[in-house]
Amino acid sequence: MKPPLPICDCHGHFGVHPDFPAYAQTAEDLVAVMDLLGIELLAVTSTLACYSDCPRGNAEVAALLEKYPTRFRGYVTVNPNPPGEALAELQRWKRFHTPPLIKLHPDLHHYPVDGPHYRPVWEHANQTRAVVLVHTWESDPNCGPLLLAPVARQFPQARIILGHSGVTWRGYEQAVEAAQAASNLFLDISGSQSHRTVIEWMTERLGADRVLFGSDLPYLEAATSLGRVLAARLAQAEKEKILRTNFLCLLEEFGVPSARSGSATEAR
Amino acid sequence: MSASSTIELAFAEVADWNLFDANARVGRSGMQGVLALESGELLLEMDRFGIRRAMVSHFAAEEYDAQRGNDLLGQAIESADRLFPLWAAIPDAGFIESLERRRPRAVRLSYGAKKHNFSPALWCSGALHDYLQQNSILAVVAKEDIEWESLARLLENFPRLDLLLLDAGYRADRYLFPLLQRFAHLYFDSSTYLAHRQLETFVNRFGPDRLVFGSRLPLYTPGAAVAVLVTARIREEAKRAIAGRTLARLLSVESESR
Repeated sequence: MKPPLPICDCHGHFGVHPDFPAYAQTAEDLVAVMDLLGIELLAVTSTLACYSDCPRGNAEVAALLEKYPTRFRGYVTVNPNPPGEALAELQRWKRFHTPPLIKLHPDLHHYPVDGPHYRPVWEHANQTRAVVLVHTWESDPNCGPLLLAPVARQFPQARIILGHSGVTWRGYEQAVEAAQAASNLFLDISGSQSHRTVIEWMTERLGADRVLFGSDLPYLEAATSLGRVLAARLAQAEKEKILRTNFLCLLEEFGVPSARSGSATEAR
Repeated sequence: MSASSTIELAFAEVADWNLFDANARVGRSGMQGVLALESGELLLEMDRFGIRRAMVSHFAAEEYDAQRGNDLLGQAIESADRLFPLWAAIPDAGFIESLERRRPRAVRLSYGAKKHNFSPALWCSGALHDYLQQNSILAVVAKEDIEWESLARLLENFPRLDLLLLDAGYRADRYLFPLLQRFAHLYFDSSTYLAHRQLETFVNRFGPDRLVFGSRLPLYTPGAAVAVLVTARIREEAKRAIAGRTLARLLSVESESR
């Protein structure tokens, strides 16, 4: 099963999982499944950074980008605590991309996304027109989708992706409500709950330009999200935006080198 | 290429697999009103994904009353021979007798406190479980309705009872694998078994015969579970076993050809 065009995936990870075995998580494992499913580009965040150690985790992403520069983009994952570390990490890894890609996980970092310790990160994102991927979950006090609407309005130059769009059906409703209130919010479809008709519903409410393909590799099988999009009752042009164009626009990359089969040749 | 032709291409591979969905529901729902489907609509949705048959329970049997839900299920499947009934069962006095009249091959046990609210332990459900085991009736339990420890005790007490666990989830392997090794009559469905390379790893370790295809229709799109099965790097024979052969065996129905 191949998609009608090469996919650009806004939501991936690099690393293992604490709560279940990781069966295939190396760079080569990721490239293999990307080749299988036609994913040209995958933007990853370090799982180690999401859980416990941003500096080491971001360094692992740096090594991945070094090895496969055309297949991956790297989010700099930052923790609002201790204060000051986040900006230091963003400076340290500013060579990753322009505009920068930033990942926030307010749930695992146990801090509200609209709290004062995140403010320097949002100011930085606003100044640099960063793409900020935020993990969200329905009504969560740290990362509920509705918390992001005022943040997005306050920092209008930041382009904010609601990771998983709140996950549940109610979470999707909240994500759409937030995105209707702030035009710099975008919705990522990755997640373990494959609700029927939800992609059509969010596209109808927001337009296809603000819905992004995300897989959550290597947590979830990328075929999950791909199957959901291919099965959705949407026009082909809308699917193309979701699967590829929208994320490239956010990255400000309008041409990506074609993925090379087998990609080991690309490794340095 | 039109959107519909993309779907046809993407899912064409399953057309001759005789997909038999182990995890579907039918009827109106108070909690899932936006997504619930009556049987005619459900059949149309199954057609989009090449799902030949589905084992269905009725929302009313879970959300309201087992007996009334079973009556509604009987009506829903009356003119839909592609829908296989998954009757609700509870341990109340006289229920087994009423269930027998339906000649069940599979029953759904909704132990959860917000569902039928009963214990899977011997002192509460022993007679019901014994009836199911004695009559080779498949017991179907959603993971959200039973704790792992209770599931292990149930399987210890009824070692010949075929039990299909639904919605085990992709984070379950550290519980699921030891149970599968210990209890030969435990099965689970693929609807939420969606972690990267998880299905292949499972098949390589346990073979394909303990995992059955499930979609969670009408709540979830089958697009996810079908796509994972289609793209799994396992032999086609294994895919066919998961797609429907194993469930057909458990229900003692033919693994029919189209």
